[in-house]
Amino acid sequence: MTRTGADIRIRHVGVTYPNGFTALRDVSLDIPAGQMVGIVGLSGAGKSTLVRTINGLVPITSGTITLGDHELRPAGQRQMASRELRQLRSSVGMVFQSFNLVKRTSVLNNVMMGRLYHNPAWRVLLAAWSKDDVELAMQALERVEIVSKAYEKAASLSGGQQQRVAIARTLTQQPRVILADEPVASLDPPTSHVVMRDLQRICSDLGITVLVNLHFLDLARRYCERLVGLRAGEVIFDGPVADASESVFEEIYGRSLSAEDVLDSGVRL
Amino acid sequence: MIPVDGSGQRPTARPSRPDHRLRTGIVIVLVMAITVWSARGIDVDPAAILANWPNAVGNLVQLFQPDYSFFPQTLPALVETLQMAVIATAVGSALSLPLAFGASRAANPNLTVLRVVRFVMNLVRSVPDILYAAILVAIVGVGALAGILALVLFNIGIIVKLVSEALDGQDLGAQEAALAAGGSWFGANRMSLLPQILPSFASQVLYTFELNIRASTVIGLVGAGGLGLLIDNVRNYFLYHYLSLIIVEILVLVVLLEGFSSWLRKKLL
Repeated sequence: MTRTGADIRIRHVGVTYPNGFTALRDVSLDIPAGQMVGIVGLSGAGKSTLVRTINGLVPITSGTITLGDHELRPAGQRQMASRELRQLRSSVGMVFQSFNLVKRTSVLNNVMMGRLYHNPAWRVLLAAWSKDDVELAMQALERVEIVSKAYEKAASLSGGQQQRVAIARTLTQQPRVILADEPVASLDPPTSHVVMRDLQRICSDLGITVLVNLHFLDLARRYCERLVGLRAGEVIFDGPVADASESVFEEIYGRSLSAEDVLDSGVRL
Repeated sequence: MIPVDGSGQRPTARPSRPDHRLRTGIVIVLVMAITVWSARGIDVDPAAILANWPNAVGNLVQLFQPDYSFFPQTLPALVETLQMAVIATAVGSALSLPLAFGASRAANPNLTVLRVVRFVMNLVRSVPDILYAAILVAIVGVGALAGILALVLFNIGIIVKLVSEALDGQDLGAQEAALAAGGSWFGANRMSLLPQILPSFASQVLYTFELNIRASTVIGLVGAGGLGLLIDNVRNYFLYHYLSLIIVEILVLVVLLEGFSSWLRKKLL
């Protein structure tokens, strides 16, 4: 599971959805391999759209995104041959707000999804995974300290445990980048810290580039090296966490800060 | 106007009750007109029941006195009916599963294939089972094979419809996660949607098995094997004591199997 992260270069990216809503305008970011970047902003600011463009879940309408050797272009003709897109996605793990597990099946089966790209159709159909792939999955579960639940149904796990299974699923991909879209928004405060620490450790131990959308400012400050502030689809702040003062946050949020913007009440920014 | 609740705000005006009386009246008159027209068209004469009464009483008396000594001779046909239903259910559901994914908007991203599969399935479903049996008897000859083929077509029509609707109703989060991990649509559907719909698929299979027991008796009337073929024979010779036994057998079989399958379905869901 030792693999270095990938650089991400986002150049003048714009996204306009088919219904005419423009979610991103002229976004440019350079994210070096192994960095942990927090993306903050109000809901509707384009955080989710931004991370989803990086693995092609949302096609961009202008600009380019380079991730390692892959380049994503606007979907005018076709953004990328589907085989190459799958290859790119296999190197990018994604963590979702609502965990997105198959609740009816075992934790291990869920984690094996991370090996989909690397297995032929017959193995997928029969769920006949190779020993090496199962080993990868078990190691990933060990890393998030949940391997004892490997054969339990995903539905029987708590929210925090489910999110850690989802993180193990991405680790099983042996990813170079992990995208986390509001990974703690459905969790209680103590569990949120556990999940954020997992992501931070993955970034520092494995050198995987991590992009995480966050709603809570204190979490962003505590766990990320760098912050990107989005407002109405535009980057209005990009810099080290230390430079993100209260006035910067007020600009990102377009209003003065309140207790609702931090996870742990009483924490001062 | 005086504010009612003392909040200083005028209460919102209540909407007036919409008037549907004319529309309801037209619908009632139309439905009645169609019914009267239908009855006149086929020359319904309730007096026929009375005219045929003496004859009917004789037959009814025989029908209420099943001849149990006939039982050993019905056994082969009874077993054949069961076997037809089992084979048709097995083959029909095996063919239905991939087709259901093809007919589901959630599982099949290819619109052309989706439309073709749905169109063909609508055709398959629009033909009644007894018509399939009649046609197939003409093609493959009198016997169980025609019956089995007819039931298979009948089963595909039902299962594909119900399972593809179940697929469309699923939460697509896990599928999105599988696609984001680099899985193909096939791989993503196999890993995420299949485990989710398996219980409802199994329940539909049991339900069609029940239908098959009943249907296999009816399609036998046109020569497609099983108890139906036997019914046709004894009826032609007016052996109502025998017919009555066969009806009792079907009744017992259907009640037992329905009880068993509804018990099993409850355990599944």
